Amino acid sequence: MLQRLVSRALAHNLGCLVVPGPEIALAHGLDVTAAGMRTSNTPRDASVLLIVGELSEKMSDAVAVLYAQMPRPRAILMVGGQAPSTLPGADISVGLSQEKLTEAVGKLQRALADGAFTDSPEDFDADVLHAKIEYVCPMHPEVVKDEPGSCPKCGMDLVAREAGESTPDHDHEHHHDEHQHHGPEHEHDYHDHGDGNEHDHSQENTGTEYTCPMHPEIVRYEPGSCPKCGMDLVVREDAEDEGDSDESAAHDHEGYDHGGHDHGASGFMSMIEVTKDLPRSADGLQMDWLEVPFGPVFPGLPGGLKLTLTLDGDGVTEGLATSLVGITTEGEEGEGSQESEEMNADTFIEHLSSAVPLAPVSYRLLACLAIEKATGLSDDQALTQARNSALERERIGSHLGWLAQSGRQLGFAWLTQQASTLQLQVREADRDRLVALEPSLRALGARLERTPLLKSRLKGIGVLPADSYDLRGPVSRTAEEGGDAWARLWQRLAEVTASLDLIKASGEPELPSLRDIGDVSGTGEATVDTPRGEARLSLKLEHGKVKSYKLDTACSHHIDLVPKLVEGQELGDALLAAGSLDLSPWEVIS
Amino acid sequence: MYAQAFFVTVFGLAAIGFGVVVFRTSSMVRSALALLFSQTAVGCMFLAMQTEFLGVLQIMMMATEMSIMAIFMVMFMMDPGGLGGMDMSHQKRFSIGAGGSAAVVAIAVALLSNWGPAAEQVVDAEAQTRALGMELLGRSMMIFETAGITILTAMIAATAVAIPVQNLASKDDKEASE
Amino acid sequence: MTVAIVLLALFGSAWLLAVIEGWMVTGRLSPAAPLFSGLAHLGRESILPRSPDRVFFEAAPVLLLVVAVLGMAVLPLAPDLIIADLGTGALFINAALAYVLVAVIMAGWGPDGAYAMIGGWRFLGQLIAYSMLIVMPITAVAMRAESLLNTAIVGSQAVLWNIVYQPLGFVLFFIAAMALAFRAPFDLPTAEGELGGGVDAEYTGVRLAVLRLARLTLVVTLASATTVFYLGGWHGPLLPPWAWSLIKTLAVAVSMLLVGRYLPRIREADLMRWCWILGIPLALLNIIIVGLLILVVP
Repeated sequence: MLQRLVSRALAHNLGCLVVPGPEIALAHGLDVTAAGMRTSNTPRDASVLLIVGELSEKMSDAVAVLYAQMPRPRAILMVGGQAPSTLPGADISVGLSQEKLTEAVGKLQRALADGAFTDSPEDFDADVLHAKIEYVCPMHPEVVKDEPGSCPKCGMDLVAREAGESTPDHDHEHHHDEHQHHGPEHEHDYHDHGDGNEHDHSQENTGTEYTCPMHPEIVRYEPGSCPKCGMDLVVREDAEDEGDSDESAAHDHEGYDHGGHDHGASGFMSMIEVTKDLPRSADGLQMDWLEVPFGPVFPGLPGGLKLTLTLDGDGVTEGLATSLVGITTEGEEGEGSQESEEMNADTFIEHLSSAVPLAPVSYRLLACLAIEKATGLSDDQALTQARNSALERERIGSHLGWLAQSGRQLGFAWLTQQASTLQLQVREADRDRLVALEPSLRALGARLERTPLLKSRLKGIGVLPADSYDLRGPVSRTAEEGGDAWARLWQRLAEVTASLDLIKASGEPELPSLRDIGDVSGTGEATVDTPRGEARLSLKLEHGKVKSYKLDTACSHHIDLVPKLVEGQELGDALLAAGSLDLSPWEVIS
Repeated sequence: MYAQAFFVTVFGLAAIGFGVVVFRTSSMVRSALALLFSQTAVGCMFLAMQTEFLGVLQIMMMATEMSIMAIFMVMFMMDPGGLGGMDMSHQKRFSIGAGGSAAVVAIAVALLSNWGPAAEQVVDAEAQTRALGMELLGRSMMIFETAGITILTAMIAATAVAIPVQNLASKDDKEASE
Repeated sequence: MTVAIVLLALFGSAWLLAVIEGWMVTGRLSPAAPLFSGLAHLGRESILPRSPDRVFFEAAPVLLLVVAVLGMAVLPLAPDLIIADLGTGALFINAALAYVLVAVIMAGWGPDGAYAMIGGWRFLGQLIAYSMLIVMPITAVAMRAESLLNTAIVGSQAVLWNIVYQPLGFVLFFIAAMALAFRAPFDLPTAEGELGGGVDAEYTGVRLAVLRLARLTLVVTLASATTVFYLGGWHGPLLPPWAWSLIKTLAVAVSMLLVGRYLPRIREADLMRWCWILGIPLALLNIIIVGLLILVVP
């Protein structure tokens, strides 16, 4: 009885974690709430893993970690894609449409209501979840072994640590994904250093020196207590012997977690000593640094984008943005592996537009234009207008999607709700419908202007560095006037209204489709102003097939701005600055 | 009367117990919060002894003070999580001696001083509070106001000292880079 | 009996609040949703993080709930409907609320995760910002009542509610109460877009159910405190006293939830700056004004 009640409760409380991110679901026109689920921001709060579209290999690993973090009973719901190999397989797999999603949720609810407790959920396990343990020498960080033993250089016992813990350039997504447990583990390392120093030195070095932790001028050759303060003397590290190697080690690692090296001198260790050689962060406080990953599935960032921030308390000292879903292009496919299997023009267009779920129309248009250029077809006035209308419609939708994303990041529930509702309505609207939506779009802007706290939140955040170059789209258009997140918000809102006017002037939007090109050869180049800035494509056509191509997108340039924008900012401001660029990780060339 | 004695004993033992935990753990945060709960137990002892204002004040003040202490411990100590198993103690013999003798003195004071006759009837909390207020703003006003202003001055001075002088700092940085 | 009634009122209000919150988010008014959601949490796995500080991790949600209930214990619903009418009631509520901070620090430190830890310390970092603005307006309220008895405080507002008598204090207290309950736009320790849930992030199953209940209860307690201190408590025409208390409490609680929905999260530095530069001087000014009023107006 109680079990049945609980099962029913579970079935009606489906929180779903959307992978790669809620903005992708919206871009595909999926409304998760309307389908009967709650959107969860974290895997801990989710019971359904909703995977939209195909996942890249790197994303699959990340998703396996997310799945492992979800409390049971949990289910995987695939929408328009194959279940990645890292997961145990989809519970339900459906095509990409709202009706099918609703239907699938209903099925899932019935299944859960009937059998949440009947079948014993098996343990989920994947290779990526295993933290690799490696053994390092406390004194010689370059010594890394797979098995315990002693250091070949100094003979000290090796200390266990998790692989990837201290090497910043090491690829260690596997246990650093959404929810990581760093924190005190780093201190663990320090301790091992200190400990090792004391013990091993006292055993090995015959001329061991003892000193008082408080009075370094006291040096004795046997243990005892300090004549000045009575504290027990501790072993002093022999400066001539080890000093040099320690110095270099500390420098190599920028103190990530090896600040502890030169602490043999005192058994009484404090953070002041540990951090004294670290570069200072903006607030002047020296603290232990944590390298914390944000993403690739993080409520405040677009799905697929991973921000690795080095945190000093609540401040960011260093940041790096990477895309786990970037498109693999720029000629590689054309010249390298794919040379033999050249693509049909139509397949190419599909391939390109599906690789960029946040702006499929723009890239479809880009591919069409480039191919038509290559074939030498002349422009058709009416067709160009229809296509431009579609492009502008996508721009409105995309900017609304960015607003919804910002709302999620800012904890501004009203904005998220309003913007995503509008985005869903705009997505496939015809011209009349768009005209009808105009008042609500304008009202949104007016409302944002009146929102208290918003300006103080965005003003002065993410100011573009003076020497930034190759900016495109809304980001470049605001570069002169302050160039902060606030300016970018208003630029995008202005573009929404401008696009509406353009659509009103140019007519019914129509999805770009390739005109009949026949069996021709040639090279073509095209530029389309996508919602995030110009994208350029040049391609070589041979007998109606795409031989090779080269793509250049705005986001691949903008992503390099992130380190400069986040450095020295508070965490919230840093994330906001990164978010205000409207990076689409899909458009980053990997 | 017996109930009162019982609660005073229970909270007293709890205070000692949490006090022991402070030194038995190597996690700085645990240590700080154990101290907090030890102090809270002392506050509860006040409550059990019908000194309501003092008790509530003790319970309130300690929460914030010990939390602030916790973050300073995390900031300034190595291994704040206590995961490394590092031995944080030093000068053991001296501290045992000092602690022991302090305990002896405290017990001696408790046993030897003349506490006077036990009060038969305690006035209720409201009257106590009123009396305390009269005392604070009457006879002892100068003392408390002076103390308050002194503490405030010290806090402002400490903050002023802690703020880095911008020019000086940049000069230091330059020197360091050279 | 009184204990049972007050607890019933407290958790009943929390339930109503959850229903209204669900209504605001989904647009559907379903009275059973909070109960179902609670049941669902019981059915879910309660995951323990990899290397938690077990004591803190387990204790934090419970402590938060206890704090909220203890705070409610000294707040009157009606002249004789109060669990403990302490002679130091107005001070006691401060003492109880101070432990919200302790619970959040425990929840932040306990799971040994970076997001939670930052969230926990963030809340401590903002301590001065909100705690001063809780204590100082209450001082002015107690000055008018010339008592720390919460019933006496309500009694002092029989003719004129404190919201009219000291509007400045009300505004400051309301804002500080929201910050203390870490509701949006002051949800710095949980900040979903910044910390992926922060101190909430690692809780699942039963523990999460307790934590959610505790957070809702805390909102009710703070709303009830606002009612007692500023909105004349049980005073009101026609309806029985307890009904007025409940209506006012719910209205305050709902407005706390509503405000958060229409505002972006405040910047940490801004909250701190405004509270120091604006809030504390205004709170002092409020005390002076109330003091003068007491002296001048008989």
